[in-house]
Amino acid sequence: MPRVLNVWSTHRFWLGFFGALGLPANRLVFSSDTSEEQFREFGRGRGTVDCCWPVKCASAHYGELMFGQRRKLDVLFSPLIYNMPSMLAGHVVDNLACPRVMAGPEMVRAGFTREKDLFAEAGLRYVAPLVTLAEPQLVAGQLFKAFDGILPGLTPAETEAAVAEGFAALARFDADMRGRSRHVLERCAAEGRPCILVLARPYHMDPGIGHEIENDLQNAGYPVLWSQYLPQDPALMDWLFGEEVRAGLMASPFDIADVWPSSYSANTNEIIWGAKFAARMPWIAGVIRMTSYECGMDQPTFTPVQAIVEHSGTLYFAFQELDSTKPAGSVRIRVETILHYLGRSSAGIIARKRALLPPDCPLAPG
Amino acid sequence: MDGIATRHWRPPRAARLTAAEARQAEFLFGGLHWRSERLIEAVFANLGYRARALPTATRADLMTGRELADIGQCCPTSFTTGNLANFLREEAARSGPQAVRDRYVFLTVGSCGACRFGQYHQSYELALRNLGLERFRMLLLAQDRVDQSDGAADAFQPDLPLILGAIWACLCGDLIQGMEYRTRPYETEPGATDRAVRDSVDLLADAFRNRPKRGETWGALAWHLATPYFTDALRQARRRFDAVAVDRLRVKPVVKITGEFYLHTVEGEPNYNIHRWLEAEGAEVYPASIAVWLDYLIRFAKQEAEERRGAIRHAGLRIAAAGVLQRALRLTYDRLRGALNHIPHGMPRQEELRALAAPYFHHRLSGGEGDMLIGKAIWAHRHRHAHMTCELSPYSCMPNTMSVGAMARVLGDHPDLLYAPIEVKGDAEVHALSRCQMILTEAKKRAAAEFEQALKTAGMTLDQARQRAADDADLRRATWKLPHRGAAGTAANAVLHMAGKHL
Repeated sequence: MPRVLNVWSTHRFWLGFFGALGLPANRLVFSSDTSEEQFREFGRGRGTVDCCWPVKCASAHYGELMFGQRRKLDVLFSPLIYNMPSMLAGHVVDNLACPRVMAGPEMVRAGFTREKDLFAEAGLRYVAPLVTLAEPQLVAGQLFKAFDGILPGLTPAETEAAVAEGFAALARFDADMRGRSRHVLERCAAEGRPCILVLARPYHMDPGIGHEIENDLQNAGYPVLWSQYLPQDPALMDWLFGEEVRAGLMASPFDIADVWPSSYSANTNEIIWGAKFAARMPWIAGVIRMTSYECGMDQPTFTPVQAIVEHSGTLYFAFQELDSTKPAGSVRIRVETILHYLGRSSAGIIARKRALLPPDCPLAPG
Repeated sequence: MDGIATRHWRPPRAARLTAAEARQAEFLFGGLHWRSERLIEAVFANLGYRARALPTATRADLMTGRELADIGQCCPTSFTTGNLANFLREEAARSGPQAVRDRYVFLTVGSCGACRFGQYHQSYELALRNLGLERFRMLLLAQDRVDQSDGAADAFQPDLPLILGAIWACLCGDLIQGMEYRTRPYETEPGATDRAVRDSVDLLADAFRNRPKRGETWGALAWHLATPYFTDALRQARRRFDAVAVDRLRVKPVVKITGEFYLHTVEGEPNYNIHRWLEAEGAEVYPASIAVWLDYLIRFAKQEAEERRGAIRHAGLRIAAAGVLQRALRLTYDRLRGALNHIPHGMPRQEELRALAAPYFHHRLSGGEGDMLIGKAIWAHRHRHAHMTCELSPYSCMPNTMSVGAMARVLGDHPDLLYAPIEVKGDAEVHALSRCQMILTEAKKRAAAEFEQALKTAGMTLDQARQRAADDADLRRATWKLPHRGAAGTAANAVLHMAGKHL
């Protein structure tokens, strides 16, 4: 599987799914993290259109899986993920993937088939079903159709059970990550320490796309949280959002219609909600926004996200137009600036935000 | 309560537009070609509302849009944002911001899914805030409602006669546009087609302005589907074209326009005036029609219901309803087209477009025109409806870039397909047009070779063909339907027709 795009937030589903079908983890090969070297070696000349780096680099991941493996692979599996499981499901209009992200595999495939079928030449079956992960009841049918005849003896019942295991594995992983984020916040609350929230798309966790900018901040002693894995337990939600819900400003703690009525896109919705969370959570003293060059989904959110965060007094720093090359020099200068402001302002930010919330904090009982 | 309400950032929201206020307000809209916009204005007037199409966006609007909203917009967002902003800014300078807020309401599409097209209103709102016009009323049209109402009983909601009128206006506007582009390249008296078009649009606008009232719901629908009122009006328009003499033996490449909805629909600076430019370069333009887009939306809704059985309620009912709607749309379009002697292009069948695109692009991939761009390019090539396809894609358009990328494989499988994807930034005209010109040069050669082949098949020389055409009164009349004889070009089909042959 190419380690690209929304595979970054759904990989546990795929591991669970294939594992339940009897395919051990060592027979499921993910391509490596994105890098310029990978693109030079495996992706060059395979692009068919200029677009954002997270989609464009997928050609290199395909190429690496086709031509860069010691052992022969049988299937290249690259799902067209149409919509996403989201913590905001039921509170937003829809949970769609970005149009480029969902269609990216079709564009990448064209680069490997325009002159001749390079998948066939590499002895690979190319399997790319459209999968609606936000509609679990449809997924078994979609995946059975895709793998019928490829995985010998596969039955609809087995597929259904494997899909259920995939979703369970994803839920376990997400719950674990949210628990870890909560633990970080509890520590910050107990010690009065600030932390940083990254607002970005899941694939910015890829070192070749997000360029590990957050690592430099973590190295300086600031714990880093990602918006995809923020805690959501009811007591904490009520502490942060309860007053506003009861005042009728929001329908629920997960409602974003007050700031973003066009809530169609799953990842956009989560970024907006993450911004709202950051604006209220006292110990998040700074927000780092990452966006890739030419990202049309992020573009309309620039002002709302910044306004949500800054209105609360929380520091906001944006790394926009990230591309294939890490802008190391400017990142270093920006990181120094961020650290300076965090060091100077964090205590005041925490105190001001804490004063606006009810006294009993679920993160620091007693 | 006040403290909680202002503690966190929330964008200012405009007040609801009540039904009573809608009668006093002036609706602004835009983004279509001028013929349909004129007719939609008449539809509003017919129902007692005032409406005005915004002037076609210009490069100055592009610059304003870029200046007032977030960076990195696709060019349709910049053009339309700047267009609205500049119009309101001028009005505010004349009569003050409060008068602008009281007088105007902007009607726009606010919800279509993943692409940022569904989020344009965020840019409009930001631009208006930056102009000091926050709380300006903007109505977001969803497919089944205006989402400003929140269920309030007194809120303005467009009724069925307004919606049906707007759809019929788009269909009639499309057909006049189709008539125009089939005629003008061959007119023997320069300006005759433009005159006929202006007269036809005036005549149709009168018809829409005086449309009889036939109920609010089912009665209105039944009347629109059955009435000869619009076909009669189009027949009168046809008579305006009767007077236009044409020379169909001019050899011209046919260029099919496809692409992103706004760019392929408007005619003006947002798409570098590409329709007029292509004609000036010697091409016959096959314009993109709004009707095909409506047909696609219905097809998409139908296939969504088909593939989401088990996940949505009443799937069977939705499928049946979509099927009925699609048949009604196609029948209506063909009936109206018949009033113009079927000269404007017909609608390709969506099932065929989907099947043609299937090996290259999944039919459920949404945003923009989805698989339709690929299907249309192959369809026009395979059925010889055009020598070349010119796809207008906004710079950084998310869905369009993906289908343009997938076209690489289509071109591998169909090396004869002439395809010019033009990335439109709005301010890089020379680059875009020169790219188009390269492919157009090849299309001209194809049209010339096809014409030679037609003469050979017909067993005629060029002089003989000219003589036969001069003697054929039908062939010189713009409203006479030239049959498709297997060639893409009009001149080749004319020669084949005179000889009773097919390519």
